[in-house]
Amino acid sequence: MAGPLISVRNATRIYGKGEARVAALDGVSFDIYPGEFVAIIGASGSGKSTLMNLLGALDKPTDGEITISGQALSKRSQRQLADFRNKIVGFVFQQFQLMPRKSALKNVMMPLQFRRPRFSDEKERATQRLNDVGLGDRMDHKPTQLSGGQQQRVAIARALVGEPEILLADEPTGALDSKTSEDIMALLHQLNDNGQTVIIITHDPEVADAAKRVITLRDGKIISDQTRDMAA
Amino acid sequence: MRIPGVAIITSALGSLIERPFRTALTMLGIIFGVIAVFVSLSLGEGGKERIRENLDSVSARTISISPNWTGRSSRQRPWRPFTENDLLEIQSLNGVYAATGGLDSTYTVVSEASDWSTNVRGIDTSYLKAQELVMDRGIPISDFEIQAKSAVAVIGSSAARSLFPNQDPVGQRVKIENIPFRIIGLTKEKGGESWRGRDEDNFILIPRTTGRARLFGDHRLARQQVRSITIVGENQGVLKQIEDDIDRIMRRSRGLTPDEPPDYRIFNFSANRQAFADTMRTVSLVILALGGVSLIVGGVGVMNIMLANVTERTREIGLRKALGARRSDILLQFLTEAILLTVISGIIGLILGYFISQTVADMDQMKIKYSWTVIMLAFGASFVTGIISGFIPAFNASRLDPVEALRNE
Repeated sequence: MAGPLISVRNATRIYGKGEARVAALDGVSFDIYPGEFVAIIGASGSGKSTLMNLLGALDKPTDGEITISGQALSKRSQRQLADFRNKIVGFVFQQFQLMPRKSALKNVMMPLQFRRPRFSDEKERATQRLNDVGLGDRMDHKPTQLSGGQQQRVAIARALVGEPEILLADEPTGALDSKTSEDIMALLHQLNDNGQTVIIITHDPEVADAAKRVITLRDGKIISDQTRDMAA
Repeated sequence: MRIPGVAIITSALGSLIERPFRTALTMLGIIFGVIAVFVSLSLGEGGKERIRENLDSVSARTISISPNWTGRSSRQRPWRPFTENDLLEIQSLNGVYAATGGLDSTYTVVSEASDWSTNVRGIDTSYLKAQELVMDRGIPISDFEIQAKSAVAVIGSSAARSLFPNQDPVGQRVKIENIPFRIIGLTKEKGGESWRGRDEDNFILIPRTTGRARLFGDHRLARQQVRSITIVGENQGVLKQIEDDIDRIMRRSRGLTPDEPPDYRIFNFSANRQAFADTMRTVSLVILALGGVSLIVGGVGVMNIMLANVTERTREIGLRKALGARRSDILLQFLTEAILLTVISGIIGLILGYFISQTVADMDQMKIKYSWTVIMLAFGASFVTGIISGFIPAFNASRLDPVEALRNE
């Protein structure tokens, strides 16, 4: 097996100063290998959102190191982190975070405008991704004209359009009903089957159960890290 | 091929169009500012050009003197006209290009076709030269007619049009106070109006002697009177010297002691013109200052709206950062929006300013000059306003923490 895609070593994130210091994440270490499907689960306040921000390079650890795709994040400048977010990570948010006045296609194309150098076939790439998530016939629709499940599919297409090494989904089914949630989870699994590394952050054990590997957080520490045989 | 920058501008344009009312209100201040800057600069340039054009024209080298009867209030002095002798002395001064003196009054002039109130001037042979008039047809009044006190007249083009519509005036007859005059010449149109707004072609010229003998009468205090004297200097530089010489001649001729105030008035057109130009420059400076203030106030408005924009779109900024936007991308995006806002206002302001300055020019016979410098200045002012007022909001936006921004509801 090749080396880990993500290597987290003793990652600590402290908020506040002096008496008000709170360690949202307290010395966490783990590795994630290419092609894994990992769920990070924990109650509210367990540190899972903080961990997601660190894995997505939106934030830097106060202490410890996170290395993704060979890049040590703590040593990166703001600009390098921005480029990293653009190339290496694809975000999916609980609230979809689509631009309401832009069409599905425009929404999917958005990350490509920050790519350097830019692709010459941005529209084709975005169209391809929308086809992949089953929305080839809804490309010109605005988010308000789409159902919740369809909106999340657009968001997934947007996350994938830059061909990231990691798909990072924060409560991707949190705003959806159970039937739609199943569809979205099925889509994520299908992507994983095609080799996409997927990390899901969730508080929902049912969603976590669908993952091959579940990392459980409590009070900023890992309390369990289990890999299961999905074939069972 | 992708043209860099086009996408940024289109997307900035899109976000301005999404909020049309707010965008329009914000633009108002800048539009007013650019109008004021453009109009004032155009007027100023036009004024400068006009002075340059006229600096050496005859009218700018003209001095006129007229008798004045307002002396000291304690000792009213009678009104005394000048004499032909005064005129002869002035004509012999150094630096005088032409000097003419005559009498004039307004009469109703009757032709076969019409009657018309016009200025009848008794002139000498220097008159045409001093007034820059040339003959269109016929012949000018010569020494012969002056000596003979002939009842002949030369008519100005606009008086001719009124008295002899669609006819050749030369050879026709007119009656002034029932005295018949034969028209021997027509002057070429001088064009337009004087800088004081008087029709420059509405007159009838007759020999001075004829006028004095049969029309105006001679003054009891000064035989051979001339009512006003007009002097044209050879160039601008000699005007001051001529003025001093005239003062000396007049004081001697009219028997004034050196401490007595003059009973005549010397009117230097070029000085007057300069004063007019100065006034115009002051007016255009005031408009320019107003424009500047309006641009500043408009700029503050733009800054205000951009700050509100950034606050309102915090989540969008967070999202863009999460998708890989660099700080410079965000900065450029909001700066482009601010600049676009002011530059579009600038273009609208230039167009409106053009029409407004045209209207002003038509109303007041002012000269307007449009130059690329002025256009670029007015446009540049709006561009710079955009950069200045857009920078702080754009900078704030670029520094937002993506984690915080995404959490913002």
